[in-house]
Amino acid sequence: MSSHHISSHFTLFGVAGALLVLTFLTVAVTWINIPEPYNVIVAIAIAIVKAALVAMFFMNLYWDSKFNSIVFLLAILFFVIFVSITLLDTLFRDAGLPIY
Amino acid sequence: MGNQIAEADKKSHLQHHFVDSDQQFESSKLGMWIFLVTEVLMFGGLFVAYIIYRSWHPDLFYLAAKELDTALGATNTVVLIASSLTIALAIRAVQLDKIRSAINYMAATVALAGTFMVIKYFEYTDKFAKGIFPGAGYTYDGIDHDMAANFFSIYYMMTGLHGIHVVIGMGLITWMIIKAKKGFVHSGYYTPVENTGLFWHLVDIIWIFLFPLLYLID
Repeated sequence: MSSHHISSHFTLFGVAGALLVLTFLTVAVTWINIPEPYNVIVAIAIAIVKAALVAMFFMNLYWDSKFNSIVFLLAILFFVIFVSITLLDTLFRDAGLPIY
Repeated sequence: MGNQIAEADKKSHLQHHFVDSDQQFESSKLGMWIFLVTEVLMFGGLFVAYIIYRSWHPDLFYLAAKELDTALGATNTVVLIASSLTIALAIRAVQLDKIRSAINYMAATVALAGTFMVIKYFEYTDKFAKGIFPGAGYTYDGIDHDMAANFFSIYYMMTGLHGIHVVIGMGLITWMIIKAKKGFVHSGYYTPVENTGLFWHLVDIIWIFLFPLLYLID
């Protein structure tokens, strides 16, 4: 089983440390008032970096067969399509739906 | 002869339709990733509801998010990151045949997951006491917005489905502890532990998005 990647303590603790720093950062940026819509963009950007760290180094995608990464990225692509096509409808309704 | 028996015993995990252990491991892991895709798309539906609702009522999200305790949300984020680290360390320990320490790391992961659920319990009961229930049960009048109940319906659905996943994850990791204690997993075969780890990390990733989207709207 020598072909399997075994993560070093350095990698695992390093990634966890980076995740903690980014968690602090995402809370800290709310203390300075970043104007709309940039505050949402910053929050999502930090979350994407954190998710990428978990997926690459904790879930081993970095060392795995690249096919697993393609499968995961396709899920995200289909989620983006889901969001985009729904927003094309809901953002351009004349008066919204007052009951909701 | 004795050697052959030992060899056969070591390969007992290998099912007849696979060429070798590596192929079995890779196939199983790909299957787990495909399951995780369905999980992403299930939560995706809730994220779409959140996005549409926030685009319609941005003011509601600013008002309602003030009811959520950022300190508790941040604590839970740290707890889940720590639990992701301990499950990753558990997998490393199994790969190195350090079964005792793998069991300890998995027990730590279950304990951290339990901590997450306890904090979530205090958050929920605090809201229930104020009359903040999902849907028609909503009776709180502290938020000056007609649609306030809908924010909390989205909040309860997203954090609730995530909480169910945390509980399922605790069950799976406990199952892995039992497997490890019975000696079913070792450096030659640790597929179930690996796949449980993948599930647990996905639960962590979903919380990484829920935390800023629900708690950090300033």
